[in-house]
Amino acid sequence: MKRIFGGIMVLSLSLMVGTALFASGQAEATEDETVRIAVVIPSTIDDMAWSQAMYEGVLSVQRRLGEDKVQVDVSERLWNAVDAGSAIRQYASQGYDIVIAHGAQYQSLLDDIAPAFPEVTFAYGTGFRADHENVYAYDPHAQEGAYLLGIVAGMKTRSGIVGLVGPVESGDAIKYNQGFVQGVESVNSDAEVRVAYTGSFGDLVAAGEIAETHITAGADILTGSAQQTVGAIRVVDEYDGVYWLSTDMDQSSLAPQSVLVAQAYDFEAVVQQMIDNRERGVLGGSHLPLSFANGSLSLVWNDALASEVISPEIRENVETAMQMIIDGEIEIELQ
Amino acid sequence: MILEVVIGVIVGGIPLSASLLFASLGEMFGQRSGVFNLGTEGIMMLSAFVGFYLVYLFGSPVLGIVAAMAVGGLMGLLMALVSVTFKAEQGISGIGLYMFGWGVSGTLFRVYVGGVTNIDGIGRIAVPVLKDIPVLGPILFNQNPLVYLAFLLVPVSSYVLFKTPWGLKVRAVGTTPQAADTLGVNVQRIRYQCVTLGGVMSGLAGAYLSIGQAQMFADNLTAGRGFIAVALVYFGRWKPSGVMWGALLFSMAHALQRSIQVYGIEFPYEIAVATPYLMVILVLALTYKERNVGPLALGKPYNREFRG
Repeated sequence: MKRIFGGIMVLSLSLMVGTALFASGQAEATEDETVRIAVVIPSTIDDMAWSQAMYEGVLSVQRRLGEDKVQVDVSERLWNAVDAGSAIRQYASQGYDIVIAHGAQYQSLLDDIAPAFPEVTFAYGTGFRADHENVYAYDPHAQEGAYLLGIVAGMKTRSGIVGLVGPVESGDAIKYNQGFVQGVESVNSDAEVRVAYTGSFGDLVAAGEIAETHITAGADILTGSAQQTVGAIRVVDEYDGVYWLSTDMDQSSLAPQSVLVAQAYDFEAVVQQMIDNRERGVLGGSHLPLSFANGSLSLVWNDALASEVISPEIRENVETAMQMIIDGEIEIELQ
Repeated sequence: MILEVVIGVIVGGIPLSASLLFASLGEMFGQRSGVFNLGTEGIMMLSAFVGFYLVYLFGSPVLGIVAAMAVGGLMGLLMALVSVTFKAEQGISGIGLYMFGWGVSGTLFRVYVGGVTNIDGIGRIAVPVLKDIPVLGPILFNQNPLVYLAFLLVPVSSYVLFKTPWGLKVRAVGTTPQAADTLGVNVQRIRYQCVTLGGVMSGLAGAYLSIGQAQMFADNLTAGRGFIAVALVYFGRWKPSGVMWGALLFSMAHALQRSIQVYGIEFPYEIAVATPYLMVILVLALTYKERNVGPLALGKPYNREFRG
């Protein structure tokens, strides 16, 4: 038994040493002008939501600038702060130029870690506080697209009941929900928006169960945020005449007959801004909004379905409201 | 509205209970033999992936279910090897198995599927004639076939555990393994059988989640249901009927908290979401004295060289 245990220990140590040597070899091979970006995400790069939106944004930058100019490494499934903190610290100590901690929950970690690595750019979001000179807080204005989706829901609902599948009542979800409710009220004061939370970001089975409960209770338009929404979309897809409005990214590939439109975040612009600022010697210290005004938010229609079920009047109202948001004529109140 | 909420709770609670019921019944056999398996969550996760993947590849839910059960059985066998033959501490080995299942399922999903995708799994099937019974028909007899199977397994498990010689051996091994050994019962073999059976049932629970309920797979699909299943065995005092009532109560409490939110009943959602878990803790605490009915050798590796 001792020999087996010893053998396993030797094998494990060999693997660790080998991996470390391989990694250091890679690091040495990296040219000076290459920007090394590390991304720490709470779920996975293929969650069809929040994490994937950031991953695709970083990859877009890499594709555009070239793999020899931008190196991207990702750590996934770091829901809890202890593991995430360890990964962030490791990336910083390995000389990465930009470390993106993709979640509001990582703010306090960066407050702790960033001062120890003044040459590294850190970023987190959703957030607005950038208290250190090398920390960015990026801030998708989820409420803006939510307001427009609310207009679609308010004008499209026949039952007058709209269901919202929320994760946890915090951060992005609050902004999204408040924007959505105000959008519905702006076009249909009789419609009722019913909000229910799963208490989790990633429990897609629970999200599906809440969607089912909403539909049973009469909702015919549903929306929601976070990684879990894929479960709710699957349930919505089972019902004719019930539609889903997406956020974070276009999710119509999951249910082409149910997903009408999506608010999509373009993190590419945010990442590019960090790189550009870094070249000018600015490592952080500011708030980077994603909005319709700066082009980093967009509305993606599922044209094949929308052309059938969305009237020109709805689209016109949405486009008008979007322009008014850009011009500052519509202000969405956040409490 | 009250009637709507009540119906919503029953309609929503029954399907939710199926995955818990499969896993808890399987875990009950393991615990009855003296082995608790905290790796149930990991078994469910890996089996959920394998079941999903075979449906994704071949479009056959039956093949997916069988494969998920086979994978669950293999993982149960692994747990038995570690905890029964190697006599490792059961809690630690279970956590190891959980992490193995979680990590491997996510990695295989990434490599072989690459992204969230729907499958045509098993949907609800209405039972002819019975579905037409007023009020109760649509509630009870329009369910996923695996839900019927889960509830059918309750009396079957009860019969096996309390009415068959094998069930008697299981209970003896979990209570006084030394005495059972003296009477010629192969303690290790019975524990292997029970833990493997628990794995097969957990595999079925995972398959129900990915093929029946969600009809998709994503990282961490089970979201802690395996751990709840382990707790429900204590909750149900190691009896199939108790496990069933525990699973139903927990699921209905979940369905109730969802309905409370959806119908806009004034109640803090954080408390609503936590209610089912608080309820399990409360019942476990209140039934503290009655827990003596449980297997006395639970968690203790059996070594015939040592007595005491």
